Amino acid sequence: MKRFYLLALCLLISLTSYSQVKRKKSPAFNTQGKQKNTFLEKQWWLGFKGGINFTGAVVEKSYAVISPTNFSVSQTKKTYDNYAAVGSQATVEVTFYFKGFNFSLQPTYRHSVFSYTTHAAWHEDNVPMLELNYHQDQQLDYAEFPFLIKYDIMQSKLRPYVQVGAYYTILLNANKSVELSGVDYASGAENEFTEPDIIVGADDIFAKYSWGLMAGAGVNYHVGNIRLNLDLAYRKGMSLANATEKRYSNDRLTGAGDVMDDIKLNNFSISIGCLFPLRFLTSGFQSLDRP
Amino acid sequence: MSLPTSILNKRIPITRQTLIFMMLKKYSLLFLSLLLATACLEESTTAIDEQAFTKIFDNDQFDGSYYPIDMRETSDGGYLILGGRSLDDTNFSGIYILKADRYGNFEKELEVPADYVNPIGQLIPSAGTLKFFCMDPLTLQTFIATVDEQAENVSMEPLSVSLSYPAAAAPDGNNVILLSYNDLDKQSVISLMSPSGNVTASKGYTIGAGDAVEEPIINHFLRTGKQFPFLVGRIPGGLYYFNGFYNYTFSLAFTNLTQDTPNGVVQGQQDDGGFSAAVPISGSTFAASTFNFGDNSLLPTVILNTSGVTSSVDLDGNHFPELELNATVRIIRTTLNGKNVVVYGSNTKSKQIGLYFYDEATGKFLGSEYVGYSNPFEIASLIQTTTGDLAICGTTYMAGRLPRFCLIKLSKRSLKGI
Repeated sequence: MKRFYLLALCLLISLTSYSQVKRKKSPAFNTQGKQKNTFLEKQWWLGFKGGINFTGAVVEKSYAVISPTNFSVSQTKKTYDNYAAVGSQATVEVTFYFKGFNFSLQPTYRHSVFSYTTHAAWHEDNVPMLELNYHQDQQLDYAEFPFLIKYDIMQSKLRPYVQVGAYYTILLNANKSVELSGVDYASGAENEFTEPDIIVGADDIFAKYSWGLMAGAGVNYHVGNIRLNLDLAYRKGMSLANATEKRYSNDRLTGAGDVMDDIKLNNFSISIGCLFPLRFLTSGFQSLDRP
Repeated sequence: MSLPTSILNKRIPITRQTLIFMMLKKYSLLFLSLLLATACLEESTTAIDEQAFTKIFDNDQFDGSYYPIDMRETSDGGYLILGGRSLDDTNFSGIYILKADRYGNFEKELEVPADYVNPIGQLIPSAGTLKFFCMDPLTLQTFIATVDEQAENVSMEPLSVSLSYPAAAAPDGNNVILLSYNDLDKQSVISLMSPSGNVTASKGYTIGAGDAVEEPIINHFLRTGKQFPFLVGRIPGGLYYFNGFYNYTFSLAFTNLTQDTPNGVVQGQQDDGGFSAAVPISGSTFAASTFNFGDNSLLPTVILNTSGVTSSVDLDGNHFPELELNATVRIIRTTLNGKNVVVYGSNTKSKQIGLYFYDEATGKFLGSEYVGYSNPFEIASLIQTTTGDLAICGTTYMAGRLPRFCLIKLSKRSLKGI
């Protein structure tokens, strides 16, 4: 069903863009003004932007290495620190403008970070003997291919817009670190300790490919011939971000009691950048001459 | 040559099918791309969850100590694990039974009262139940225990004759073979019985005179000394064999259960050498492993002399310095990727569980696999599931110190390279 949604969405987007392209018929250029108006109904923009992002995980199904025999399974669940860690992204934007609408392809390199914690404790006759706290950091590098449709709300120098679209990602690299700290009461005093982090390459336990929906808003500010851009985007993951068949494949992690849940990743990004027009009517052309 | 104008101007009606075909043709590349893109997405299914997992069965008691002995797959696809547990008032191990579901999740546990101790494997399937042996800590009498597959109940029956210190057991068709130690006569005793514990044949073989020979055996049962790889079995349709003490030496002895001395003996080096595992392949050909003053060797196809006296030291094998001193070894015969394969499971010096795969026919090494990391892992049992995957049961030490059962399942797909 999810695949059907993805197919339907992409088809809709492609049909929309195709229908826009189909309408491009050569107008009759009767006058210089009309020619300029018609010319300015379309524009190609090329730009670069970068910024920061915050990632949150939505758990579809919990998994755990630890299977409790005399305490609740809920104690093995992970606590996610959503949207706490800062990631970064860099984007190349190619946008086709047509009558207030922008059709934008934005290949992106995205570095996302999210973390969670787990806790374990053992006691003897209700006296705590040992506590362990695990802090797991996930660092993911994606090549992301978003396709967005933007609508310019105002046709002015400061031009706010809203945008919707979808994206497809390819995992480039994944690393995971497990930080273990604890309190050992069994040694006769409260002995707090921290063990060296377990840091592993984790490509195998994350999904190689995933997709999601995007929505957001932003504003373009025209300076001379270029646009300065502030872009806010929210990505909703629609497919699993973790691998399922190789969930338990990393012995370093499973040996330490860690395994990934079934999760979808949501992401909020803030980017700034600039866009350059690719079509000029004259050498003195100003991209702001017309909308 | 040109067509007549009347034909050229004729409007050909476009049917719905034609329109759909044209659309499909136009967007075929897009459809193909989307199908490829969606085909690569991850999906979570119960079938995948069942194929491979790692589970550690934790208990929040700091002083809880558990070690697994043997494991069997149950008819519902789950796993029943027989284990031992530490008791407060005796050195003998108590009995602990754990049932996990097909995904490796804990379902039920049974802590058998301390009236029965020293559980030993194998778990032997019998009429929808599983049998194992244990003993009374006071009288030392051996009992045959019956546990249902769901670990709801366990019942005990004393054997029809007095046998003490059960050491190893194995199925033999509808019967059960038991190796035990008679501390009064100082004999290794091999017995044949029905699954209800009715002993039909039994033969004892001296371990040698003097307390020095007996001491390591008693320490084994009390778990205060070296754990010996006692085992028992039968060459299909042929002689019975036991791996135990005979004539001052830890030996693999062959017997027909009637002669007063074994038909054949492959001697070790007192209690410092011998076989750590042996599984008959055909006739007197075995897949075996030996230990000798700490060193370990794997012998995937070795012909043993089942008559006369020979020595395990003289057998050529693959020396494995990566294995821990006098390593525990488990051997199973399986079929992987269409090949008959002998799989060895053992403990490495780096505290992982190593799996070593050999071609059963040629003894050629096919590959290895290591499981367990971060905390120490030790093997107890290795089985092939009905789905063709491998399941390993062992002990891991939570936080490096708390012994707990672990259950690791490797999918046959992950062993494609073997």
